[in-house]
Amino acid sequence: MKRLLVLVALAVIGVTLLYGIGKMPPMDSRASPDKTHVVPRYLGHGEEEAGAKNIITGVILNYRGYDTMGEVSVIFSALCAVIAILDREKKGRSRSGVDASRVRTSLIVTTVVRFSLPVVMLFAVYTMLHGEPSPGGGFQGGAIVGASIILFTIVFGLAVSTKRIPPGARVPMESVNMLGFLSMGFIGLAFGVQFLTYILPGLGVAAAETVRKLMLDVIELGIGIGGGIIFISIVFSMIREDRYELQQDVP
Amino acid sequence: MNFSRMFHNLNYVVSVLLFLIGLYAVTVKPNLIKKLIGLNIMETSVFLFIVSIGMVESGQAPIVTEGVKTSQMVNPIPQALILTGIVVAVSTTAVALSLCLRLHERYGTLNSDEILASITDVSQLGRPWEEF
Amino acid sequence: MNWTVNLLLMLFLLATAVVAITLKDLLAAVVVFSAYSLMMAMLWTQLRAPDLALTEAAVGAGVTTVLFIIVVYRTVRREDR
Repeated sequence: MKRLLVLVALAVIGVTLLYGIGKMPPMDSRASPDKTHVVPRYLGHGEEEAGAKNIITGVILNYRGYDTMGEVSVIFSALCAVIAILDREKKGRSRSGVDASRVRTSLIVTTVVRFSLPVVMLFAVYTMLHGEPSPGGGFQGGAIVGASIILFTIVFGLAVSTKRIPPGARVPMESVNMLGFLSMGFIGLAFGVQFLTYILPGLGVAAAETVRKLMLDVIELGIGIGGGIIFISIVFSMIREDRYELQQDVP
Repeated sequence: MNFSRMFHNLNYVVSVLLFLIGLYAVTVKPNLIKKLIGLNIMETSVFLFIVSIGMVESGQAPIVTEGVKTSQMVNPIPQALILTGIVVAVSTTAVALSLCLRLHERYGTLNSDEILASITDVSQLGRPWEEF
Repeated sequence: MNWTVNLLLMLFLLATAVVAITLKDLLAAVVVFSAYSLMMAMLWTQLRAPDLALTEAAVGAGVTTVLFIIVVYRTVRREDR
């Protein structure tokens, strides 16, 4: 009965949506309203105005910088929520399924992970720092960092992984994306221009260009490292299986 | 309805169908993990719709390179918005999954019908925050 | 954009989405959902969005799948329990 009701509702929603998209302009036309308003300016002047050959990086960091700052705070508050729900893993007392398993991990898998991890890390840093001239940027690099460390954790276990990246090293890095954004924003305020302005007055043209590149790189690195560490912390606090043991330890 | 245009706008039609599939999973399936998979499918269908709007005929990626005119590039704004959207989607999924872990610890099941049936009496809830 | 590749990717997306929500084994459903994310990453390259393809391949097919697998491993594997 419930399923029938849901199917009727879905049919109504689907017919409405299909009717709506039947009226939309053809998908790849250049004259549709979304491509005529502000986009020609972004595409034509994005390189000199935003300082990035990759227009998407320019939009993310410069034209819509506030948007990205809010998004970064969303990931940070997601980490806060996960830690509030599940608690952080304890140093030296955390175990995962890999640690508890009696089956040894295959030598082939461990060797491949050992050899490929540095290469993946190098690619992640390249992606973070080359977000201006080529596809890439902070989010992408951070996601690659997180995925590679998660791969390491799955193969070698949580005990080894938390020994390599202890909470003492992770906790200061988790807020680095918010802090990078805010500090770079307040530099603009200190020079008497608006928040999150990268072109600083009174520096000369060449120096201002270099300073802008530097500030963009700092923000990209901050987003990347902070995002990656946040993903790692979320996975660590979800993968551990020690809470009941801890409760038994404490009388 | 104009069917030839709808076939031209195939991406839109498929995103509507994916949205309906995800909505079906969210509403009908009792299992919480199935609901989350459905929610993720709904999110990606919306992403597909928004990015497809920005496509142009024989378009190029919006990166300034030699020999690519700016009139050939696709719309960069949907891509920038969806880039943040993907990261927000994984953040919300992480929070929801950690709530699933806590629910399973407390009720021993991830079936939302059983969980709801076991808390018909609100006073039975007690003080859950004192258990941990 | 290549229309044939686009059509094939669309069909694969619909098929993986339907399979992911019908499978009773949650681990299998999560793995199929990871395949769905990978198809989505290929579709982003078709739509000329290389940044999105990088992010989706790392986040959708990597991090999200691992989070789902952790939860399935620590809770129940069958859907009806």
